[in-house]
Amino acid sequence: MSSERRQFKSVKEIPPEDYYTSGRRTCAGCGPALAYRLVLKAAGVNTVVLGPTGCMYVANAHQFLTSPYAVPWFHTQLGGGGAAGAGTAAAFRALMKKGKRRLEDVNVVVFGGDGGFADIGFAGLSMGMSYDYPRLLYVLYDNESYANTGIQASSTTPWGATTTFTPSGKVRRIGNERMKKNVALIMATHPGVRYVATATLWPPLDLMNKVDKALGSGGPSFIHVLVPCPKGWFTPPDLTVELSRLAVETGLWVLWEYENGRFRLTYKPSPRKHVKNYMQLQGRFAHLSASEIDMIEEVTGREWEIWAEMDRTGKLIVPWVPPLKSVEG
Amino acid sequence: MKALTRTDLEAVQIPRRRPITGARAIAEAVKIADVDVIAAYPIRPYTGVMNALAEMIANGEFTAEIIVADSEHSQFEIVKHASAAGARTFVGSSGVGLIYAAEAIVVTAMDQLPVVAIAGCRALDDPGNFGMEWNDTLFFRDSGWLISWAKDPQEALDMTLVAYRVAEDRRVMLPHFIAVDGATITHIAAPVDTPSKKDVAEFLPPYRPHYTLDPAQGPVTKAQHIAPSLIGPEQRKHVDVAMKRSREVIAEAWRDYANYVGRTYDPFIETFRMDDAEIALVTMGAYTINALHAVNEVRRDGIKAGVVRLRYFRPLPAWDLKKVLSGVEGIGVLDFSYSFGSPDSAGVLFNEVRAATYDDPKPALDFLFLGGREPKPADFVKALKILHDYVRTGDTPGGKRVFWLTLRGEDI
Repeated sequence: MSSERRQFKSVKEIPPEDYYTSGRRTCAGCGPALAYRLVLKAAGVNTVVLGPTGCMYVANAHQFLTSPYAVPWFHTQLGGGGAAGAGTAAAFRALMKKGKRRLEDVNVVVFGGDGGFADIGFAGLSMGMSYDYPRLLYVLYDNESYANTGIQASSTTPWGATTTFTPSGKVRRIGNERMKKNVALIMATHPGVRYVATATLWPPLDLMNKVDKALGSGGPSFIHVLVPCPKGWFTPPDLTVELSRLAVETGLWVLWEYENGRFRLTYKPSPRKHVKNYMQLQGRFAHLSASEIDMIEEVTGREWEIWAEMDRTGKLIVPWVPPLKSVEG
Repeated sequence: MKALTRTDLEAVQIPRRRPITGARAIAEAVKIADVDVIAAYPIRPYTGVMNALAEMIANGEFTAEIIVADSEHSQFEIVKHASAAGARTFVGSSGVGLIYAAEAIVVTAMDQLPVVAIAGCRALDDPGNFGMEWNDTLFFRDSGWLISWAKDPQEALDMTLVAYRVAEDRRVMLPHFIAVDGATITHIAAPVDTPSKKDVAEFLPPYRPHYTLDPAQGPVTKAQHIAPSLIGPEQRKHVDVAMKRSREVIAEAWRDYANYVGRTYDPFIETFRMDDAEIALVTMGAYTINALHAVNEVRRDGIKAGVVRLRYFRPLPAWDLKKVLSGVEGIGVLDFSYSFGSPDSAGVLFNEVRAATYDDPKPALDFLFLGGREPKPADFVKALKILHDYVRTGDTPGGKRVFWLTLRGEDI
């Protein structure tokens, strides 16, 4: 297996082979399932896939003992994603170094949910990103909640979203009052990290090319993928990819990459659509007033000044988000 | 008698015994076993094992990936996955660190991955306590791990080598804890004979698993989420069968080890002065040596006492235990463990011994060394005397069956 890059120039170049196939029971319109399919198409056959507990553990390879994975796959505990990736990569390096396995590039792709990578497994992920194992890619598939256990808030749930742990109530109307944690930016601040990017299901080639770059970067890499979740976002299944597109076009989800110490926006919405185009389609934001949505629009605009500055200078700016104005309950 | 010549002296095989700590001895075994992946995270008293290994790797004594993990949970997940990918692995911890890794530890057994780990026995928090206790390791009594208990640095080294052989045997495929009493083994230097890699090459061939998580082997889906109705009980039964099979594999491995290395051990149980013993002390680990001295002392007063030491806690050699205890009139358990609210309000080992001898019950007392406080030789002699009086008169001080021997205040 060569380690040469093979950036995909058009959809026609997407390989027909799937390594995430049938035999699953994900929801109709499942965003994570689409992300798995695209990421594994880009990674190719010489890949080991690891999955911390999450909705994609419970939804895959379950009833009737079927498995959708056409590459080796192994579960790891909810907080074990970072360690699982490092341990597997360490095994391959040791076995190859000692002549116990033939020399070959083997990709190790760990798919962690936002619970697994932004919360309980955050320390382990950080540990994994601090080593120098090549072809080790951590993918955070972020559907912005613990979707498997019935939509509970995680630390990447956006401000305002209602979840079963942060419901919109009579007294506490806003729902989730914490700001979304930007895990990709935190990962990019690790020393020695080769490649960090954000992506979503749209545009698909952007996601696949970032996977290819990450695996070829020669060091640990991380991609934060926003994946709409019909169950948790209260959206119809046929809107999944459209929501990905709107998240990008409204500027709420910023597509960027950080390659060998240089920051770059990979998509600049122009003109940027109002965030209401994205938020009003989703039941989880239904309780927010127009002025609250306008406030998010305003904050997003101020954030974009910082994103543009990062793009111009190629450097990370932390913190990247201005403080949120207090909102009348 | 003819005086020895220089040639005669050279013909005598003098074993290479040098004083090293238990921690160092275990590290030597890991080096000889040519382990591929090691995951380290510090906690006293086991840390010295990892310090020694890191030094060996840094000096090029052997090649392995050593990962300095962010926590014990990650430590045990690292080796679990490295093992699944086909590597021979080593890990360890102590006290609450071991408990922090509990989630990763239990899945390693359920996935039947032959990870070998050191449990450097240490009292559980709170309060932070560096003393020795067995409750950290015994937390994993019911987890499907093999658990052996070493007596001294030499045995710790031998047990580590044998552990890989047993864990990786295709009839077993279970992870293996080697429990070493904190400080009393990890930090104490004793003369240790270190076999060479050549000596054990045939005894311990490289790890060759059935199915590895490696694209070269094709797709394998491991530890998938399942409906309990499909394979839940069957999967547990697999682990049970592996544990039961481990008995013959352990016996075989120690027999083989003696052939290759020349040191002979009874695989499951060690006895001392039990031939004519009327009372027996049952124990595990490093303090066995103190018990032997106490037995020698009370025998001078005509008390016929002996010592029975369990070398394995899982599987618990109930068959051997019953046999060696069949002739005695009373059993005293030297217990560095406790189970709050258990039958008799006693130790974990006591409950296990009682269960093992259920069909042939013996009068039994439990002597507790809890909270990490160092017991003195006099405590062991005291235990023997209380047991002796109990067998003779049917009575004990205060009518008690359980004694907190190192307790300073009142036993309420």
